[in-house]
Amino acid sequence: MGVMDFLMQGFQTAIQPQNLFFAFIGVLIGTAVGVLPGIGPMSGVALLIPVTATLTGGMEPSAAATSSIILLAGVYYGAMYGGSTTSILLNTPGESSSVVTTLDGFQMAKQGRAGAALSIAAIGSFVAGIVSIVGLALLANPLSEMALKFGPAEYFSLMLLGLAAVSGLAGSSITKAWMMTVTGLLLATVGIDAVSGVARFTYDIPVLFGGLEFLTVAVGLFALGEVFKTILHKEDDAENIAKVGRVIPSKQDFKESAAPIARGSILGFFVGVLPGAGATLASFFSYIAEKKISKTPEKFGKGAIAGVAAPESANNAASGGAMIPLLTLGIPGSGTTAILMGALIMYNIQPGPLLFSDHPDVAWGLIASMFIGNLMLLILNMPLVKVFAKIIETPPKYLLPIIIAISVFGVYAVQVTTFDLYLLIGFGLAGYLLAKNDYPLAPLVLGLVLGPMIENNMRRALTTSNGDFMVFIQHPISAIFLICSVLWILIPFLLKLKGKDVVVNVEG
Amino acid sequence: MNIGSFDRYASVIFAIIGAAFLLESRHIATSAYGSEVGPNVFPFLLGLILILLSVKLFLESFKSITTKNKNKEKLMFKRFLIILTASILYAAVLEIIGYLISTFLFLFISFQTMEKSGWIKNLCIAAAFSFCVYYLFVVVLKGSLPGLPIWFS
Repeated sequence: MGVMDFLMQGFQTAIQPQNLFFAFIGVLIGTAVGVLPGIGPMSGVALLIPVTATLTGGMEPSAAATSSIILLAGVYYGAMYGGSTTSILLNTPGESSSVVTTLDGFQMAKQGRAGAALSIAAIGSFVAGIVSIVGLALLANPLSEMALKFGPAEYFSLMLLGLAAVSGLAGSSITKAWMMTVTGLLLATVGIDAVSGVARFTYDIPVLFGGLEFLTVAVGLFALGEVFKTILHKEDDAENIAKVGRVIPSKQDFKESAAPIARGSILGFFVGVLPGAGATLASFFSYIAEKKISKTPEKFGKGAIAGVAAPESANNAASGGAMIPLLTLGIPGSGTTAILMGALIMYNIQPGPLLFSDHPDVAWGLIASMFIGNLMLLILNMPLVKVFAKIIETPPKYLLPIIIAISVFGVYAVQVTTFDLYLLIGFGLAGYLLAKNDYPLAPLVLGLVLGPMIENNMRRALTTSNGDFMVFIQHPISAIFLICSVLWILIPFLLKLKGKDVVVNVEG
Repeated sequence: MNIGSFDRYASVIFAIIGAAFLLESRHIATSAYGSEVGPNVFPFLLGLILILLSVKLFLESFKSITTKNKNKEKLMFKRFLIILTASILYAAVLEIIGYLISTFLFLFISFQTMEKSGWIKNLCIAAAFSFCVYYLFVVVLKGSLPGLPIWFS
């Protein structure tokens, strides 16, 4: 069967009524998550896992996994879009990936062109979504076929490369990023060892035998950590929200933004495919690129519509591109995709090359639903932009306690132990302290999710080589991955020595 | 507390975590059936790496200590501590007094802590939220949550 047949099958899965419903709920909640300050895509996706687990409770395992991953992915790219709304109207980015959008977006809002900026962002996001889906459909099969040839040694090195990429780009201090990664990997070793069945670091405490649940850790670190931060630091009240105004962009706006959208989408997609880079870098790169290409660079920062169109397309395309390493190789390149991967594993579906042969309905259903979800986002956002702008006005006094209550509910509904609630609060405190002192949190979650897989592959590779660590260098593909990971660590280090500023990824 | 001194404390704590994993991994069986690499190898190596990284961070923390400026920001410790305590109590009593009552109490206390005014509105929102979540989850979606305390129903 060719790609088209698979895609058609995917569409058949995606247009089932319940999956349409899940995609709709996903993008709706995602947009709200993007608009609301305090919940990013990571905590939004993490918080919704328990809800989707219940929603899909009565379905077959494979269908349940498809539906919930459709919803969660919808939250992911919905949040990417929603983040732009606050950037434009409030000058405060909802997500780090829309930081650049504030530069021109807020200026446009000041000139009374907020509606045009918002709808161009929606159109750009839609085009970008389509570009990334086409890329995903084209690259999925060749990549997963290649990955099927990998043995444990190759996999170990590939995952190491993934960790190196995320740690190398996250935050301001590489030492701190690596410490977070290693801590995540260490926390993953708690519980029953999957290879030998030996209990490790459990001290006969029954709740520890299953290991630390990634959901508890992720919700604690991201959602509660952020809430604690907002409670402690007095927020600036009474921000002026710009009027939305006319929603339909003018012909001139379309003309000026068509090319930036196309360039932003393609650039964003390829940045997204790279592990560790992600949406924030994509939006920065595309903004800088547009400014360089533009005939009137002096207009940037003063309300140029290209300065909204390009980064918004890029960050959406990047979130689509980030699905490629996750689905084909089973390696998440960012914090949010790590959480999506954790969700898939919860449904007993292992992302990776076998996903396309074992569960084609999940993989292609997701790809097709991303197309439908992007269409929904466009239809939803053009008329509802004003409604979403209202969500910003939710007073934090209600929002913050409710986020805590939802986190507690979500963790308890899935885990049903009080122990996990204490763990949740503990990780919330840790998340606040660590994030406040520039310790990136995404590598920790990535380490926690990848930990068992890295360990298994390492031990399988070492078993075949009778404990000889040279096996990772003797396999040529594995050696290439290892060299890449070393370069990934060394190059930013050398650039820093030369005194150059290295662009860092705060989103993770 | 500036970032430099936090880093120094954190590096000590992370080194202790690393050392704990390193030492404790020696109590795990050293070999698995048919393999020379037992379940102890991976945590042992990671513990070692974490200790080394902590040493690096400890050394780096002296550099960053001077570069950070000290702008004293007023922290809202009081409301933070109240809400934190409320969350811990919420977790502790959830199974005892049930979801409805504990969520309502937690939300009401937190709303009041965030802003004193409008307690009737706060009361209504807290009650509505806990009831809606419970109704949607338990009645509509057939999930399971501890409802009301046993001696109540």
